[in-house]
Amino acid sequence: MVSIARKNLFKEKTRLIISVSGVAFAVFLIIVIQGLYNGWKERITSYIKNIDASIWVGQAGSSDMFHSTSIIPITLKENLEKISGVKEVNRFLGRQIAFDLKGKKVNTYIVGFDTEKNIAGPVKVAEGKKVPQEGEIIIDRVFTKNKNLKIGDVIKIGDKEFKVVGISEGGNMVIFQFSFISQKEAEPLFQMKGLTNYFLVKTDGDVGKIASNIKEKIPTVEARTKDEFIDENQKLVRETFLPIIYVLTIIALIIGISIIGLTIYTATIEKLQEFGVLKAIGASNFQIYRVIFSQALISGILGYFVGVIFSLFAVRIIEYLVPMFVVSIRAKDILIIFGIAVLMSIFASYIPVRRITKIDPARVFRA
Amino acid sequence: MVKENILEVKNLTKTFGSGHTLVKAVDDVSFDVKRGEVILIMGPSGSGKTTLLTTIGALLTPTSGSIKILDKEITKEKVSKLARFRLKFIGFIFQTFNLLESLSALENVEVVLGIAKVKPSLQKEKAIKLLENLGLKDRLNYLPKELSGGEKQRVSIARALALDPQVILADEPTANLDSKSGHHVMEILRKIAKEKNKTVIIVSHDQRIMDIADRVLWLEDGRIKEGAVGFVEDPVCQMKIEKEKAPFKSTFGGKEFYFCSKKCKETFDTNKES
Repeated sequence: MVSIARKNLFKEKTRLIISVSGVAFAVFLIIVIQGLYNGWKERITSYIKNIDASIWVGQAGSSDMFHSTSIIPITLKENLEKISGVKEVNRFLGRQIAFDLKGKKVNTYIVGFDTEKNIAGPVKVAEGKKVPQEGEIIIDRVFTKNKNLKIGDVIKIGDKEFKVVGISEGGNMVIFQFSFISQKEAEPLFQMKGLTNYFLVKTDGDVGKIASNIKEKIPTVEARTKDEFIDENQKLVRETFLPIIYVLTIIALIIGISIIGLTIYTATIEKLQEFGVLKAIGASNFQIYRVIFSQALISGILGYFVGVIFSLFAVRIIEYLVPMFVVSIRAKDILIIFGIAVLMSIFASYIPVRRITKIDPARVFRA
Repeated sequence: MVKENILEVKNLTKTFGSGHTLVKAVDDVSFDVKRGEVILIMGPSGSGKTTLLTTIGALLTPTSGSIKILDKEITKEKVSKLARFRLKFIGFIFQTFNLLESLSALENVEVVLGIAKVKPSLQKEKAIKLLENLGLKDRLNYLPKELSGGEKQRVSIARALALDPQVILADEPTANLDSKSGHHVMEILRKIAKEKNKTVIIVSHDQRIMDIADRVLWLEDGRIKEGAVGFVEDPVCQMKIEKEKAPFKSTFGGKEFYFCSKKCKETFDTNKES
């Protein structure tokens, strides 16, 4: 019986192409949106993950690194060091800064790299110097591509000039990228004398307990374990983008279901007489439903594979053309989307199946 | 030896609509058909022939009366069980062939075997044999659109015979065929009845096929009209026509001749002078 489904589908190639394209488009949309979400979520915290600190201590009431300001006095360092389990406390200076570049306002998140202790530096330096000295800056590869910069170029931030000496990777936050100058230069640039944005705490013992102790003993700070801080930073992406992803996924599903549904329904209407013949000669309703469902499933699965292959190519092209977009496609998501394609096929079969139920097999005797 | 009844129709009535619009398509019809018998049901358009055939074929539920096929009363069966019953006991042949357009001749026959869940390895073998027996050895992989009318009808016959049913119901099987193909199809149907001992019930307008039937039932206004089948042969085209309704008549040598058309009568009149 599956052969009828296959033959019916492949006989009408134009309809099959429309059906498969519809599903492929839906699959493509879901994969790319999901991939962008994952990419962003991963990238936004990849830098934090790379920093050697068990606890991030910021100003009480501050949330993530990018959308709230945390300023705390450097004097708190001593208080932190006295807390049981705290092994080492380091200063973190970082701020999003806008500056003029080739006549345009651009944004970058400048981090004060503690070059002596090698703390808060880039995830990876792909080209040039690994450690910036005075008057030097390391910028992210995406930033160089977006702003057409290269090693040796000079950029003016505030009233100070910095020479690009290195190109780093893993610091792309999509809407901005990390840049690194030495911490010594960051302090006057940010006007943070005697202040810091965060303390990076290395611990020895139960991290959760130590973080609680810090909060208890110094109420003016917020102490978060690395995982909590990562989660806090991802929250914004989740809260901002998840509803959009849900809406776009539902739109993609509706598109997919509608296109398979319409093409299978049209095919069913065209073949009503033939389905009547099958009923007349003794096929059960279930056997006929199976033909309809198989048609939808074949379209769904073909569309799924076309969509996946197309997405994999398209993503590479998108990343090449718009480097700030980082798309992370996970095998788990590809599998889930397969389930979605099957679900689309099931839903798409519903109306044609209902129509089949109503066929009067006696119609086959009407010439 | 008295042959057993395969089909027994008793007081069968089928109505459509209600009140003012009530139409009695089949009205109190009774008849029996024996194993190996070929029955031809004839009658004017709208006489209820197809409704009668459809009801016998368990595709329409009668308003009243009974239909027994192989001693099984089918009028009281559930619709879901009737599908299985049709599959096992009845083979259908249609006026418009009703082959599945996207399937080859072979696949059209295999489909029925597939529905009956015959082992896939046997499906092909059996379908090939049936089609070969009907002279379609070279047409196995042809699509219906690539076959002639006669070939399509032979595929349809192979499909009807696929599960070896006891009863074959044919609705106007020659209506879309030329006379040669039509005659060939009818010969096949008769052969099936006589050699395979199947019961063949044919509904047709085509009086040329009367000679293959063992019995002709004349249906008019939903009722069987006894003794109404007084047919004569048009001497020009050899078509069998109902004597009472013959549109043209001519006398020659003291004998009456009946014609199906004006052209046949003119041909006869021209020739009789010479």
